[in-house]
Amino acid sequence: MNELGAAVPGASKPDGDDPDRDLLARVANGELDALEGLYERYRTMAYSIALRITAEQTLAEDVVQEAFLGAWRNAARYVAGRGSVKTWLLSIVHHRAIDAIRRRRPTSELPETDTSSAQPEALTLPDIWAAVAEGLDRVAIADALAAISSVQREAIELAYFGGLTQVEISDRLGLPLGTVKSRMRLGLLALRRVLTGAGVGAEEDEPVTSQ
Amino acid sequence: MTDRVFAGLRCRDAADLAAGFVLGALEPAEMDTVRAHLAACPEPHQEFAELGSVVPALLASVPPVEPRAALRDRVLAAAREDTVRVMPLARAASPAIAEPSRIEERTRRWSLERVFGLRQPVWATLGVAAVVAIVVLGASNLQLRSERDQLAAYEHAVALVTNAATDPATQLAVLAAPAIDSPTAGLAAVSTSGGSIQLAVRGLAPTTGSQVYEAWYIPTGGAPLPIDGFRVGSTGTGTISGSWSAPAGTVAGGIVAITLEPAAGATAPTLPILASGTAS
Repeated sequence: MNELGAAVPGASKPDGDDPDRDLLARVANGELDALEGLYERYRTMAYSIALRITAEQTLAEDVVQEAFLGAWRNAARYVAGRGSVKTWLLSIVHHRAIDAIRRRRPTSELPETDTSSAQPEALTLPDIWAAVAEGLDRVAIADALAAISSVQREAIELAYFGGLTQVEISDRLGLPLGTVKSRMRLGLLALRRVLTGAGVGAEEDEPVTSQ
Repeated sequence: MTDRVFAGLRCRDAADLAAGFVLGALEPAEMDTVRAHLAACPEPHQEFAELGSVVPALLASVPPVEPRAALRDRVLAAAREDTVRVMPLARAASPAIAEPSRIEERTRRWSLERVFGLRQPVWATLGVAAVVAIVVLGASNLQLRSERDQLAAYEHAVALVTNAATDPATQLAVLAAPAIDSPTAGLAAVSTSGGSIQLAVRGLAPTTGSQVYEAWYIPTGGAPLPIDGFRVGSTGTGTISGSWSAPAGTVAGGIVAITLEPAAGATAPTLPILASGTAS
């Protein structure tokens, strides 16, 4: 088993002394007031992410409710060392929201494997990652996003907030799949460099691309 | 980067999929394959952690919008209802599962309540009427008797796992499904010395025809090894109790995984992995 989270410098925090982990441990124990505490801490971020992805108030509210219910039922599955409680919780919100908009899309646009509606409610447990810049505020992160190439940002945002797969983005933008893949990879690397204070860097050239 | 193959994927191909994977932008089958590769592959695959470390920043970049105050009450009401709906039924049906205090200290940290989720007990996979009939009236027809027997076997298997887990030479694996809302969960105890395996899983779809669920042991850095197969009936529960020896020196940190196979005797797992956990 890979300890992926351990690879990121400064990502793992010492145990104990983390109010979020204490709250989540109590949620795992079935304590409703702990869930309320978690909701109060993250309601704004959770709702903002759900609204950004669904662009619809009612659906965003459903997503937040389902996400907190998911956290309520699965708190015991949180694995410390693979990212913060905040990332875990917000990743569940993100996952739920992406599921919601993928279900809402016309069937013809759905990936083939999703068309069998045997278990439409199934939700993959998000793969979470230790953050490269846990302490940065939203404005600093937004500035970092603005600093990377606009085509790379577009590819990342269509995937992460638009719920599109690489194949779907390739179709939509009329670009070769290889171009979409490299824009995502180079964009993430550039964003990582900006977030760590290393600047956008020189690795921005887009290869003329192959699949 | 080696060219070794895990879950049908070469390391270099997995690395090529890393950006799409951390953004959730691969096709669903590719997502599963990459996940299975990462679970089995001994390579550190730093590229996933490196690219993935940016993802939380994407979440944090979204401009804040306050939800309506009423959402708080909705969330808490849903959680409260979720608890109330199944807890009394679980307590009435299974005092053995409802009392973690009976379990030895070593297994208490896994707490049956948390592992098996009393909020989503095995009983929740049955119709309420069936449960009431089994518990209160007793099973009077064949199907109910069969369900009762399956549940008894399941409870027995849970007891065997927790008993085995008190042995220091036993590795305990808590099995969970990759799907967050999936009812599939289980426990496995793999003996490092005595060559025994105890496994209990619930929340599985009944097998049909020649289908079997297969339990696998995936040693760190090695290929999956079949442990044993089992069939599942209407209760959705499955058990294994028997002899099996993990390869010498490979037990700690190995993964126990469950797949559904078209027939008994599979030598390589058919994806997806339905539930898995690390033996420790």
